[in-house]
Amino acid sequence: MDYKFPDNLKYTSSHEWVKIEEDIATVGITDYAQHQLGDIVFIQLPDLGTSVEKETSIGEIESVKAVGDLIMPLSGQIIGINENLADSPELVNSSPFEEGWILKVKFSNYDEVNNLLSVNKYKELVQSEEN
Amino acid sequence: MKKQEVQGVKKTPLYDIHIKLGARMVEFAGFYMPVQYESIIKEHKTVRSNAGVFDITHMGEFLFEGRDVISFLQYIMINDLNLLEPSKGQYSIMCYENGTVVDDLVYYEETPERFRMIVNASNREKDLEWLNDHIGNQDVKITNLSDERCRLAFQGPNADQLFRPLVDVDLSKINRFYFADCNLNKTPIFIARTGYTGEKGFEISFENKYAEKIWNDLTNTGASPIGLGARDSLRLEACYSLYGHEISDSITPIEAGLNWLAKPKEGIDYIGKEILLNQKSKGTERIIVGLNLIERGIIRENYKIFKDGQEIGYVTSGGYSPTLDKTIGLGLVQSQYSEVGTELEIEIRGKLLKGIIVPIPFYRNV
Repeated sequence: MDYKFPDNLKYTSSHEWVKIEEDIATVGITDYAQHQLGDIVFIQLPDLGTSVEKETSIGEIESVKAVGDLIMPLSGQIIGINENLADSPELVNSSPFEEGWILKVKFSNYDEVNNLLSVNKYKELVQSEEN
Repeated sequence: MKKQEVQGVKKTPLYDIHIKLGARMVEFAGFYMPVQYESIIKEHKTVRSNAGVFDITHMGEFLFEGRDVISFLQYIMINDLNLLEPSKGQYSIMCYENGTVVDDLVYYEETPERFRMIVNASNREKDLEWLNDHIGNQDVKITNLSDERCRLAFQGPNADQLFRPLVDVDLSKINRFYFADCNLNKTPIFIARTGYTGEKGFEISFENKYAEKIWNDLTNTGASPIGLGARDSLRLEACYSLYGHEISDSITPIEAGLNWLAKPKEGIDYIGKEILLNQKSKGTERIIVGLNLIERGIIRENYKIFKDGQEIGYVTSGGYSPTLDKTIGLGLVQSQYSEVGTELEIEIRGKLLKGIIVPIPFYRNV
């Protein structure tokens, strides 16, 4: 199966992608993750302003067949939520890296950024899960 | 990148076609089956708007022959075989003595001494054993045709129109639950006007060797391949009971709201009769109801249902309805809380969300 792996992004082993712009991280789930879940029908997200620790579950992504957790890739404060997903959760399927972004986090610990997976490491991870 | 195959899991004769179509395969009831080809929602909507082809070969198919077939089945089935005639089928349930369910199924009367039966995939072996155990000295011979025949469903509002040019039988003469033996592009098939989607359509069965040809003939009509994912969401909208969910070896047909199925059959004894007729006249402590969520979220099987903080039941089936674009479900609740309009709470991973009991079915077009 051919999945998209944009190489300007960082990744997590729980299949989130992270786009770093100064001290703001945009977070979504990967093409592989949306494909595994299938048709996404509902996304439960935290409130704006919530502060969350890295690696805690901050949301639930419900597809027709399954439910997946959205895991916080970095500690920080939620400063943006993709409001379009309330009525069009399927954007996460059709455009996981663009229109289907899920939230924006203001973070301060750059060490956590360095611990995220590179695109090559993430590709390896997906390949091993596929096999 | 094929996932490793597990030993002992069976493949239907259409396995290679499913793989070629890019289906996501899952193990279900001992078979590798396609859960979706592209998208469950798309496949679901295709069946509601046009027509779809389902591989249901994992289901069981038995042939019954002998002078005592009707009296044998009358004792095991809760529906009344006196309502049957040759060329007609009947939905029924076989129960344990305590009224809970062995399986739900459809049988077809070819002649009074020859019946065909289609049973749930997950109950094939159990059913066969249960049936054989009750033959005794009656003249009944059961042949298991499951592995030598292939079964497909062809369902949707356009099913008739798309099917008609392929077969040498007048489909307009086959009413709902009736069947015929005919040829599909010169290949012999059994065709019944039955289904599990809430749409018009057919279920067919034929020898394995014709599987690829018939699959291609059917998909060439413009009907799309549909996986088990949409099969489940379609049946949930139509509120057809699913074994292990709304009916099971711990739920009776009356609790599942299938009162019409448990027939009085005066002068004929059948397994579970006393309890079922008693439940039918006096009611049951629990009953299956339809559910919607008032708040946003998705409900799924086994989620607990509460009323004013007290647990009153659980979700038997739940999910997203592509046709209605909202969350739907079925739940088994205490009967005093079963009235339509009753507000309740459903626990979704630690949170209580507001729900309401609604009339069912959610959708049917048959």
